[in-house]
Amino acid sequence: MVKKAFSPARRNVLSRIWIGLGIAALLQMLAGAAFFFISGRKQVEQHTPQLLQAGVATDFPPGSVTLIGKGHLYLARLDNGGFLAISRKCTHLGCAVPWIAERKQFECPCHASIFDITGNVLKAQAPRALDLFPISFQQDMVMIDISSPIKRSTYTAEQLVFLQERR
Amino acid sequence: MSKNLLFHFRPRRVPESALRLTLTWGLGGMAALMVTQQLISGLLLGFFYTPLPVKAYESIQHIQHSVFLGQLVRNMHHWTGHALVVVVFLHLLRVFLHGAFYPPRHRNWLVGLSLGVLILMANFSGYLLPWDQLSYWAVTIATSMLGYIPFIGISLQEMMQGGQEIGTATLQLFYFIHTSLVPVSLFLLMAYHFWFVRRAGGILLPANEQAANAAKQKSVTVVPDLLVREMAFAAVVTCVLLLFSMVVNAPLGDMANPELTPANVKAPWYFVGAQELLLHVHPLFAVCVLPLSMAIFLIFLPFSKSKAGKPGALLKTLFIAGTGSLLLLTITGIWFRGAGMKLVWPW
Repeated sequence: MVKKAFSPARRNVLSRIWIGLGIAALLQMLAGAAFFFISGRKQVEQHTPQLLQAGVATDFPPGSVTLIGKGHLYLARLDNGGFLAISRKCTHLGCAVPWIAERKQFECPCHASIFDITGNVLKAQAPRALDLFPISFQQDMVMIDISSPIKRSTYTAEQLVFLQERR
Repeated sequence: MSKNLLFHFRPRRVPESALRLTLTWGLGGMAALMVTQQLISGLLLGFFYTPLPVKAYESIQHIQHSVFLGQLVRNMHHWTGHALVVVVFLHLLRVFLHGAFYPPRHRNWLVGLSLGVLILMANFSGYLLPWDQLSYWAVTIATSMLGYIPFIGISLQEMMQGGQEIGTATLQLFYFIHTSLVPVSLFLLMAYHFWFVRRAGGILLPANEQAANAAKQKSVTVVPDLLVREMAFAAVVTCVLLLFSMVVNAPLGDMANPELTPANVKAPWYFVGAQELLLHVHPLFAVCVLPLSMAIFLIFLPFSKSKAGKPGALLKTLFIAGTGSLLLLTITGIWFRGAGMKLVWPW
């Protein structure tokens, strides 16, 4: 008796509805999981400017490179007095690049890439110049925003930041 | 009840010729055994490990120096983890050469590939956990390689690292992957993998033996004939791993220092092939096109035409050439590259 209550056609429709509902539930779960993941990531990634006091501008002589340990970066001052805040992270595979003072260049220990004082690539493996960080001045204090590294292919003079002389 | 459940995985009787060791070299069983060993040694290490920078390194030192048999347990976990990657690779090689991936085993080949990826994930996520210079910079290099993938590379890299560079977030993520995500998925998929073997009628016998079996029906009982052989083999494998771990300590370098990259750092050895390739060809090719085409080749392999149940000459040549070059690149990367990636003679 019970067996006769459902015709094969009806059973077919019903089972299709179940499959459809199942797929809808699965998609909902996947969407929920995706939003869960994405919203959680954003909080970590919020780019609020994170200003680091590097020191008084006049303490950095022209033609010098100073390691700013806390920010994992170098503050380079070129001979013309312009500042560059250079990331210490090699653009090839992310190794920390030391400044070799006697040869006046950055030499990567991992794959022997070499960069000059402006972060430009002198010897390859590294595909582009070292990243920069934005520099600003508060009075004479050099402030570096370490939250947002700027990717660049090569060094240009516009990247230099100069201390505005007050008259 | 438990006996019935077991018979989903093991038959009562198997063909006598299936007992021969040289048929499979016991590679699949060896992998299963080693995964179980990893679970046990991993559970033990988990009691004393702290997944936080600095503390992680200190807890490893604590395990090695003040915990009873701590060094041995860590050595076992370390060496078995690396051996597992090799064994799984050899298992894949064996299954390919026997053509044991053609229908009705095609789905199980895909399950096996996923298991292989999980084993790599397990090893790679575990690589970072000691938080020494070796692990920190190896993981830096390996995740930086992801950055070369077009469009999504940088976000993928930041997702893996949990930020701009490797730090607390990375360690937490890797610890979660290593201790929750991978083990749970691994054991679920492994159950599936074994059940599929059983359903396809046990391990694949060579064609001539299949015919002979159909004629004579010569079979033996699993208990004790197969079981005794498996136990003996498991004992030998365990002994080898144990002896090796007693003699050779797992490396532990200085504590991770984001300021200082030591000379001659490399990606984990199973990614050294990709790193080596990166020196010779365009990054797009090395980290994207080539791995992707390898994956596509492996995934679509079971849907190719077989030649008497075995892969055809073209497929075989492609597979062996690919495996050969990967091996060559890996060996060059591991032993023949010194500081600054200069070619050196290792002896």
